[in-house]
Amino acid sequence: MARLGDKKLNAAEVRHLYGQHGPALVAYARSFVTDAAAAEDVVHQVFLRLLSQEVEVPDVPVAYVYRAVRNAALNARRNGQRDAPLDPQLSAFKHRGGNMEAALSLEKALGELPEEQREVVIMRIWSGLTLEEAAVATGAPLNTVASRYRYALEKLREKLRPYRKE
Amino acid sequence: MKNLDERFEKYLGEFQPRRPRALPEPAIHWQVWPRRLAAAASIGIALGASLWFVRKKSEWNGGEVVAKDTALIPESKLVPQPLSLLPLTQLALENPEKLEAELTKASQRVLPDFRGRESTLRVLAKE
Repeated sequence: MARLGDKKLNAAEVRHLYGQHGPALVAYARSFVTDAAAAEDVVHQVFLRLLSQEVEVPDVPVAYVYRAVRNAALNARRNGQRDAPLDPQLSAFKHRGGNMEAALSLEKALGELPEEQREVVIMRIWSGLTLEEAAVATGAPLNTVASRYRYALEKLREKLRPYRKE
Repeated sequence: MKNLDERFEKYLGEFQPRRPRALPEPAIHWQVWPRRLAAAASIGIALGASLWFVRKKSEWNGGEVVAKDTALIPESKLVPQPLSLLPLTQLALENPEKLEAELTKASQRVLPDFRGRESTLRVLAKE
């Protein structure tokens, strides 16, 4: 149901949102649906609904798209698109130095994080949101979001230690 | 600790999520445009029909026909005709002098006449 302040985005706004957050959202979707094509389909499905002006989004559109991608990805997972093996060529991430193994480990480590921690890390690192914006997006208090982020970094640091030169 | 986090954030920044394929054009245009066109067409038809009806009505009731008829009918038997805004506006734009004449004529029919023996004002005055 539309609420006060909700609005429909025009095509340019939707495409801008996709350009800015699309890659991170696909990575986020892939933590639910490991099949690369299915994850992209999930994100496309959300953005096509926005393009067709079927939905109204709140003041923080990025919050809406994260929610919508999550729901669509969970639906896709329920429909049995979960268990595709991780293929190095189809990893959700690319490492700037070409370390494919590290990229796959990152994807795996992200997948093992609790959902609310994974969400905050992806929003912060790859969507460029501040912790305050992530708090608005997730609807959680800032302190909670900050704790989730800190715990997530600790776990990721541990998992990625073998690939890092400290 | 904060410094450690910042360095690790920087390290995570070395990984970039793969750029997904471009967003396709939504097919929805083909579903929405016919509906919009149909709505616009029905509004146009409704507007056209009401305009045509108003014009026709004004031709039947007012303008030249009424003017000719009033010349033949005695003034005391004239039934007051309602003034229609559309033909009057049209007349004001096309022929202001004729409008003036029409309004004068109409005022004689619409406003109470106090000259006749049975005029409203005389009747009221007697009471």
